[in-house]
Amino acid sequence: MTPVISTRGLVKRYGRIRAVDGIDLDVRAGDVYGFLGANGSGKTTTVRMLLGLVLPTAGEVALLGERMPRAARRVLPRVGALIEGPAHHGHLSGRANLALLDAAGPGGSRRTRTRRVQEVLEQVGLGGVDRRPVRAYSLGMRQRLGLAGALLRRPELLVLDEPTNGLDPQGISEVRELLLDLHRGGTTVFLSSHLLAEVEQLCTRVGVLDRGHLVLQEELATLTAPTGATVVHTPAADRVRAVLDGRVLAVEGSRVVVRGADPAEVNALLVGAGVPVTGLALQRPTLEEVVLAAAGSSPDRVEGAR
Amino acid sequence: MSARAHGVWWRWGAVGALVAVLAALPAIVGALPASDAAVPAADLRDAAVGSADVGFSGYAVSAGGLRLPVTQQLTEAADLFSDRTTMRVWWRGADDHRVDVLGAAGETGVHRDAGGTWTWDYESSVAARGEPASLALPSPPDLLPSSLGRRLLSEATGGELTRIGARRVAGRDALGLRLVPAEPGSSVDRVDVWVDRATGLPLQVEVVAAGARQPALDTRFLDLDLGVPPASVVAFTPPADARIVPAPDPLSAALDSGRSSPAVQLPAALAGLPRRPLEGVPPAVGVYGRGVTQLAVVPVSPGNTSGLRRALHAAPGSVVGPAGVRLAAGPLAVMLVETPDLRAFLLAGTVTLDAVAEAGNGIWRLRPS
Amino acid sequence: MIGVELSKLFRRPRTWTTIAVLNALPVLVAVLVRLTDLAPRPGEGPPFLSAVLTNGALYPLAALAIVLPLFLPIAVAVVAGDSVAGEAQAGTLRYLLARPAGRTRLLVAKLVSVVAFVLVTVLVVAAVGYLTGTTVFDVQPAAGTSVSGTSLTQEELVGRTLLAIGYVTVSMLGVAAFGLFFSTLTDSPLAAALGALAVLVASSLLFTLDAASPIAPYLPTRYWLAFVDLFRDPVLWRDLTRGLALQGVYVGVLLAAAWANFTTKDVTS
Repeated sequence: MTPVISTRGLVKRYGRIRAVDGIDLDVRAGDVYGFLGANGSGKTTTVRMLLGLVLPTAGEVALLGERMPRAARRVLPRVGALIEGPAHHGHLSGRANLALLDAAGPGGSRRTRTRRVQEVLEQVGLGGVDRRPVRAYSLGMRQRLGLAGALLRRPELLVLDEPTNGLDPQGISEVRELLLDLHRGGTTVFLSSHLLAEVEQLCTRVGVLDRGHLVLQEELATLTAPTGATVVHTPAADRVRAVLDGRVLAVEGSRVVVRGADPAEVNALLVGAGVPVTGLALQRPTLEEVVLAAAGSSPDRVEGAR
Repeated sequence: MSARAHGVWWRWGAVGALVAVLAALPAIVGALPASDAAVPAADLRDAAVGSADVGFSGYAVSAGGLRLPVTQQLTEAADLFSDRTTMRVWWRGADDHRVDVLGAAGETGVHRDAGGTWTWDYESSVAARGEPASLALPSPPDLLPSSLGRRLLSEATGGELTRIGARRVAGRDALGLRLVPAEPGSSVDRVDVWVDRATGLPLQVEVVAAGARQPALDTRFLDLDLGVPPASVVAFTPPADARIVPAPDPLSAALDSGRSSPAVQLPAALAGLPRRPLEGVPPAVGVYGRGVTQLAVVPVSPGNTSGLRRALHAAPGSVVGPAGVRLAAGPLAVMLVETPDLRAFLLAGTVTLDAVAEAGNGIWRLRPS
Repeated sequence: MIGVELSKLFRRPRTWTTIAVLNALPVLVAVLVRLTDLAPRPGEGPPFLSAVLTNGALYPLAALAIVLPLFLPIAVAVVAGDSVAGEAQAGTLRYLLARPAGRTRLLVAKLVSVVAFVLVTVLVVAAVGYLTGTTVFDVQPAAGTSVSGTSLTQEELVGRTLLAIGYVTVSMLGVAAFGLFFSTLTDSPLAAALGALAVLVASSLLFTLDAASPIAPYLPTRYWLAFVDLFRDPVLWRDLTRGLALQGVYVGVLLAAAWANFTTKDVTS
């Protein structure tokens, strides 16, 4: 499968600080890629390097199979981007902003412009927007308008940085539906976020950035695959240890972790011994646990000198 | 070195090279060598003096470094020697030419014809008609390198002149001619005149005072087109809405006071300089000397004496002697002499302070005849 | 790309406010001169202002001379300083570049739009100046008088006025190029505009200083007033051609510097 985004040894140094230190991204066609990392971990710098805004100190970036930033003029029209929040000309209407953005680069036919602008506005839920200038828009409307700008040229790849910022819960859900819809239509989505829940709900692949290093890059399904243990909820936790001697891994109040990848078998043993079981499930690690295990402490923590 | 740093370097290198080339261009053009020719000094002088009928048009700049203590009537003449004056000239002949003094927001044009001069001042919309006079204050046309060079060379003797190489002036080869005045008491160290090889037109004149390194006056052409300019450019018809006046003459007041003052017989020589014969000038007014070294004596009317005395006393470097107060500004010396019988004379010329003091004593000792 | 920049500039209310403010001063001067009948004395005040008392049709030139030393360059510095830094500050620069609008193309389009702003501004000042002049002062419909005292026909006067408008526009290119260059150095439009103004003030100051006369021919403001030379008879082309060449050199060098800086710059705004 051809990589949609691939970087090799990507480094960005600001003076003596290595903001991004040798990362090898690998995003494949059809992925919804969650790019996770705490604030200041180098996420934004990486996204800007992908789009040719920041020039790498070392390493290579290939987008849709072509070298960046050399092939920017050919590649970027096939990419939609939302970078660090939306930005528009406040004195113009949303429609005018989109039309100007469309006219500013190659690959946007003047003839179909009005129709395409109306289509993306409807797509992001702004179809009925009037001639108000953008400066009168709410934060959520601006976010939707920014998303509309990214979708304007039916991109093969969407690079989104915190796309649900400023949206209310309905808005977040709508955007999520929209992204999943686009994904079903064949668009690859690269989603940079610090919201674990958002990534967990949307993404098929995850990369975790910590202090400039890519510490993890894996299919979400693999990361959260069953661990081979079963979680049992019971009011009589102490009796479980007696029944399943040697298989109990941990007891936390009414929650008991038992070795064994077959809940039915565990259930049968416990019920057979007369232990009441109120809940039963395969143990899966949460994304949070995976990320915390891979990454260290938050980089914006400042420890006192000891 | 990374690819990015490489890109930065070659881009800024290209910009630096562009700036270097552009900055070097004027210096390269300025360093174009002038070709010299073996013309003897006397022949070059004759060619320069005989160039009054060479037609040309051009653009000239004169820069003077004199700081003169001036009274109101003399401001314009004094500005000529203390400021930068930019001039355009169209020259068809000695009494058929036009010289415009350019200002940032206007101009003053002097149009000479056979009968006199029209002086047009745009900003006040005044056209002034003047008569040719044998003695007048310096006006812009006198500062043109061609006119000044001819005037200064006209009375030079062969012994005063030497050749000094060549340089490029206004894009033309100009041969250098150095005049070192032989007159006693001259304050001028030397005058360098750069003469066009082809036509004999003086293209640049530098007057250097004794003991100075910078020229006290430097006038040169920046552009020069040979060829007689059309008469329509030189001719002048006052515009319909212009005010037409007779030309003011600051010297006429002095000449009048010279006529009205008791008859004085000025001596035939002052400080070793012989008196020059001048037409139409009262006997109380005299000009002494020759060529570069000249001294003018003008009576001052009683009403103007105190103001002039105050101005001279207040000027830095003025010297007070028994005969009066004197002052040097570059090569120019000025002295106000007040005689025991309460008459006053102004002495001004290109002589040393000592020479002007000696001349002042000569005037001071005069008695009414 | 150029069309986009022009549309952005002229659909912006601030642009038209600037032009309106720029026109207020000449109109005020015209009314004051008319009411008090006090024209500036010769050698003082802007060129052509004393001449308009007799011919109001010359007021476009006086209006240009009034705004030329300070108002016009300030407006140009602000617009040029805003060109790239303004987009950076608003955050729209990253979207433009990711669109992608090539960086070199963007620079050229920005310069063209600033030039268009200057041209429109100068034309509006001249037009408003003409309306003001002809309503406030007397008009001599037949002809005008040149600075050299010859008479100019109506066609000559119109032609030379148009040339003067063109020359004033070109004169502003140096300031525009400085503003554009500084605009690529910083993300603050204010800093870029102030930088261009600092160059302007320094140049005007050095021009008046005798000690700076060796560098005077290279100062960007050196030949600004040379548009007066168009109204001499015959026209004095010397300073006009030098002014054009000098502005060309400034635009060339500064645009190259802006290009060298901007095309290798990290856009982090």
